[in-house]
Amino acid sequence: MKLKTNTSLITIIAAAILLQGILAVQYYYTRSLLADELEKRAESEITTKAVVIRNALDLSENSLMGHVWDLKRNLLHPDSSYNVMDWVLKSHPHLTGCWVAYVPDYFPEKGRLFEPFAWWDHGEIKHAEIAAEGRDYTENPYYKKVHATNTPMWTDVYQENLIGMNLVTYILPIHDEKGKQVAMFGLDVSTEQLGDTLNYRHIYPSSYNFLLTEKGQLIAGPRDEGEKKKLELEHIIRMINDSTVERLPSSSGRTKVLPIKNPDGDEGLVFYTLFKGQPKWQIAAVCYDKEVYAKLVKMRRMIGILMMLALLVLGLIITRFARNDRKLQKVKIEQERIGSELRIATNIQHEMLPKIFPPYPERDDIDIYGMLIPARAVGGDLYDFFIRDEKLFFCIGDVSGKGVPSALVMAVIHSLFRMATAHEDRPARIMQTINETACQGNNSNMFVTMFIGVLDLPTGRLRYCDAGHDAPFINDNALEVIPNLPVGVFDDFTYAGQETQIAPDSTLFLYTDGLTEAMRSTSGRLLPDGRKNGQHEQFGLERVKEVLRQDNNLSPKELLEKMTVAVHSFVKDAEQSDDLTMMAIHYTPQKYECTLSETLVIRNNVKEVSKLSEFMKSVMENVGIEKPLDRQLQLAVEEAVVNVIDYAYPVGQEGEIEICVMSDGKTLKTVIIDSGVAFDPTAKEKPDTTLSAEDRQIGGLGILLVREIMDSVNYERINKQNILTLTKKFN
Amino acid sequence: MNAKLEEIDGKYVATLEGEMDTLAASEAEEILKPLYNSNGKDVIIDCYGLEYIASSGLRILLGILKGAKASGSKVTLRGVNEDIKNVFKLTGFINIFEFE
Repeated sequence: MKLKTNTSLITIIAAAILLQGILAVQYYYTRSLLADELEKRAESEITTKAVVIRNALDLSENSLMGHVWDLKRNLLHPDSSYNVMDWVLKSHPHLTGCWVAYVPDYFPEKGRLFEPFAWWDHGEIKHAEIAAEGRDYTENPYYKKVHATNTPMWTDVYQENLIGMNLVTYILPIHDEKGKQVAMFGLDVSTEQLGDTLNYRHIYPSSYNFLLTEKGQLIAGPRDEGEKKKLELEHIIRMINDSTVERLPSSSGRTKVLPIKNPDGDEGLVFYTLFKGQPKWQIAAVCYDKEVYAKLVKMRRMIGILMMLALLVLGLIITRFARNDRKLQKVKIEQERIGSELRIATNIQHEMLPKIFPPYPERDDIDIYGMLIPARAVGGDLYDFFIRDEKLFFCIGDVSGKGVPSALVMAVIHSLFRMATAHEDRPARIMQTINETACQGNNSNMFVTMFIGVLDLPTGRLRYCDAGHDAPFINDNALEVIPNLPVGVFDDFTYAGQETQIAPDSTLFLYTDGLTEAMRSTSGRLLPDGRKNGQHEQFGLERVKEVLRQDNNLSPKELLEKMTVAVHSFVKDAEQSDDLTMMAIHYTPQKYECTLSETLVIRNNVKEVSKLSEFMKSVMENVGIEKPLDRQLQLAVEEAVVNVIDYAYPVGQEGEIEICVMSDGKTLKTVIIDSGVAFDPTAKEKPDTTLSAEDRQIGGLGILLVREIMDSVNYERINKQNILTLTKKFN
Repeated sequence: MNAKLEEIDGKYVATLEGEMDTLAASEAEEILKPLYNSNGKDVIIDCYGLEYIASSGLRILLGILKGAKASGSKVTLRGVNEDIKNVFKLTGFINIFEFE
């Protein structure tokens, strides 16, 4: 049980590790794919945006260039500068402002300084003269620089107080016809507008782009979205600037990447690159991991949940399976236990029945074979046989019902048969005894059909009693039977016995109804009269007879095997419905070729015993039996004869006793015949020879000696004569 | 056969000779009858000359033994030959008699 639980747990853990592994690999590759993708997108983003900004600046520069001629034409009329500026602004509404700063004292009427300024203000062009505001533009570092270098340039970001905006300005030096520098032509672009252009569409919703000067000053970025965003931007710029010192690429055009971390702790990357040409600005794009990998994280979470569900289901299945398996195991163990008990019961039952075949290999007069095939593990059929005093006692029986209860009854009947036959050789009396005992306390109303036979082996006389059982066959003729009641019905029923003579070389065949009622299924055939043919067909008596008729030279074993084959081929694969029991007995009288036969007739008087002694002595001498066997045989015959003298005739009645001694050179056979009352000395109980002197009985000693000395003692009463046959092997 | 009964040194001594068949046993019983009631005297049965014994002879011996046991005396069989000892074996008498 413990092992099972552990196995389930291990399976789940293994599945979890496997799934987790798959997830990790998948996550790792997807992430690196996404990182590659990000890099490509970011690079393309900043390159594109750089081009866009560059274009905007070019456009501004070109528009200014386009009006240089106009400005030069009006160099003599200071106020006409406004007209030029208006043209510039009108043709380029995206520009913020435009101005001209003349070199000091260019227009004497305007004073030392003159700087006309025009700008867009809510769709209108406004004019102002900056020098009039008191500002000395000649002190402006950009002015100075352009003045000194005489080359146009873009300024860094500065705040124009007049219009209240952050601007970058393009300054172009203007020369007169003689090539003398006369003014600076300026064009303002608001950083806000640049920032909007820059952040028109992002690669990710929270990513943004910004422009830095070469020195790392912020030019334009996303629209101000509060202090936090501003701080974050400053933080990132600081990181870029710190790294720029070392990492800024010498040649522009290659994208740099820097891992960043905003004040909230979000990690991300900033991609940045230098503009090609002037102005040497840097363009940067910020992307945060949480967004780049947002879908990946989501996917991972979903897969994680799915995985947990899968594991849960797996666990449930395994647990259920294990539980069912345990239940199955339990049922299986129980079945095995019952099975093995039934097997033991079957074995016990089979132990009771004769199971060594051939049972009497030393005999040439009798051969027996029996078999019992139970319908279930144990059956209610029985058969038995044994030889006592040259008589074959045999029986076959069928207990009503099947299975264990019948098997128990069968065991009882079997032992009753053995008990009843111990000192009784009349089948009807044996049946009577079994019935009386079986009826006592038979509350389950079980009954037994039974056939008991006693075959006298020297004479071939068969006595039998049939208690409702199927009549056995002698060769292929059914034995005539008186239909007595089955055993176990009424305890006061009187059983009638019968007898017959068995011819030499005959076979008795006994069976239970499991043979004749062996069934096979037949397809329901429609008969001409409209009835349906029976679904089951029985083997039947005719088929039994047929098998018996075919060949009567078979040994009992061969006969039963042949019968079994016939039944099996008849029922085919139909389940055996009843116990099938068969027994076959082959009998032929023992051949006895006498080499000597002597007879003595005496009267029933003890005084005649001395005649017997003389007679026996002379016979023994003739046969050649020596000491000490001769004395023993003499003793046995004397005891048997004295027994007859004492009991066969009523007191005072005269009678004769014939003693016939025969020999075939190997055995001595003594037949003692009298015409007295029926008296069977073999039916007497054997005295207990282990008792003490006080307990030993006086009687029974004679017959005890006869039994002890002789090999076999056989009694038969034929034609009102008692025939006692004693045999002894001496050679 | 011959059967003889003596009393020597306060003990009964019975001598059996020859073949003790059924008829001889009934004759011998007449002589041996006093032994059925031995009155506490030990019994010695001399079997040196005994050649044969039938069950009726054994019954007499058993009767003597039962009587002796009842009065607390002993029965001893003397000189029993192998043939006869075999008969004692077959009947189980070998277990209840004492042999010398």
